Amino acid sequence: MTSTPDSGKLLHDLRSKCSSLKSAAELYKDCSAAEKKEMLALMNAAAAEIVKILAQIDKA
Amino acid sequence: MEKLNILVLEDDKLAQKVMSAHLAGHNIDLAGDLKTALKKIEGGKYDIGFFDLMLGPDDEHSGLKAIAAAAAKGVYCVVVSSSDSDEIIDRAYALGANDFYAKGNEESNVSDILRKFLQNRKAAGARDIFSYAFITCDPETKAAASEALKYAPTELPVLILGPSGTGKTALAKILHEHSGREGAFVSINCSAYTEDLLEAEMFGHKKGAFTGAHETCKGRLLEAHKGTLFLDEIGTMGLNMQMKLLKAIEERSFYPLGSEKPEHSEFRIISATLEDPQALIAQGKMRFDLFQRVHGYTINLKPLTRRACDIAPLVQHFTSGRRRLAFTPEARAYMENYSWPGNVRELKKFVDLISSGSEGRIDINEVKKHLKGRDGGQPALAREDGLYSYAMTNGLEAALEKVSGEIISRNLRENEGKKTKTMADLKISTRLLYSTLKKLGIEPEGVKK
Repeated sequence: MTSTPDSGKLLHDLRSKCSSLKSAAELYKDCSAAEKKEMLALMNAAAAEIVKILAQIDKA
Repeated sequence: MEKLNILVLEDDKLAQKVMSAHLAGHNIDLAGDLKTALKKIEGGKYDIGFFDLMLGPDDEHSGLKAIAAAAAKGVYCVVVSSSDSDEIIDRAYALGANDFYAKGNEESNVSDILRKFLQNRKAAGARDIFSYAFITCDPETKAAASEALKYAPTELPVLILGPSGTGKTALAKILHEHSGREGAFVSINCSAYTEDLLEAEMFGHKKGAFTGAHETCKGRLLEAHKGTLFLDEIGTMGLNMQMKLLKAIEERSFYPLGSEKPEHSEFRIISATLEDPQALIAQGKMRFDLFQRVHGYTINLKPLTRRACDIAPLVQHFTSGRRRLAFTPEARAYMENYSWPGNVRELKKFVDLISSGSEGRIDINEVKKHLKGRDGGQPALAREDGLYSYAMTNGLEAALEKVSGEIISRNLRENEGKKTKTMADLKISTRLLYSTLKKLGIEPEGVKK
């Protein structure tokens, strides 16, 4: 797929969100129960964003 | 741990959370957008700033503006971004960024950055090393040592070149002290051991591994775990040992003599030699691959005769807390012109002799008494001038022959006339030795084989 400027930005967002998710997953096991809850909520939100971005990439 | 004031510019909530976790223990200020970041930079006082560049889906790397503002206030600026095009990296550095990391490996990157920052700050804030640990006021030597210090907190191997007695070991210790490495500084002089003993000393051995191995010995490589292994006179190490050391460096593990269990050690290498490594490689005495492994950053220390300005501060340093010495201007001039073949080590011995054996102000005769015989009492500069005049009168070839003759004569004297030792020391052929002796009018009699 040839990247248009828009898809370039989408791919950047995708990389960024995935990186955060990966780093958060590495931290997760060492979090306290309360932090785990907060972290999980944020990870879920990031995962939802990733799904959204993937859909946009698919359309682009 | 020192608490730092850190600003994090990051629009992504999860990324903010990740950074906060990795920076726990410090004072962290979070900014989710450029406007907030600029306001915080203007009003706050930060040591480090971590900057994301694209702040929002349609943003055009506006994080760069925050870098410019933070850098102007002396903040150590680190970009942590998924934008890693060369153009963006160039722009970030041009605006004052100090480091640029791709997102996704925060666990090791953030700790590396903090370690580097704290070490650099410690180095900068520490007492001036040139006035207490590595005495020099020579601008060239200061610049070279300061440059080497920049690499102290890294994993980069350092190779220190310079004649004997110029402070190679002292500098290696300083580099270790500024490295932030938790392990010890472990020094080994490779020239002091035979190949077999060096192997046992370096890798350690099990009890009974060889005759005389009454106890299990840990070995220097293991002692240097998480620290620094200083290999002094690395140029004297045998090729077989070089190969074994290379393997240990590459694999970070090795087998102690008599053991079937490998040992693991993470050491940083600093090495030193008074010989020219390129010449050693050309002569087949040094493996090129080992050289490649040990010469990450190379520093060349000048002999004392080329930094005469260091003599007075060194004398002052050696007599600190003891009897202070005062020299007449003639004595000082003589010392500054003397060639100091043993460099700083020789100066230290000289100061010890003078301190104990002299009274009052020290004059040129007293200085000559202690330096005479080591250098023919002839000041280095005067000798160089003389040699230059000789070359101008008799031609360069004749001057070079004169120098060769002087070196050979001196070495023969020091070796009590042993020709084979002189040929080995100076790496010369029998033919050159005899032709030089003939030209000098020295009969080989009295010269031992």
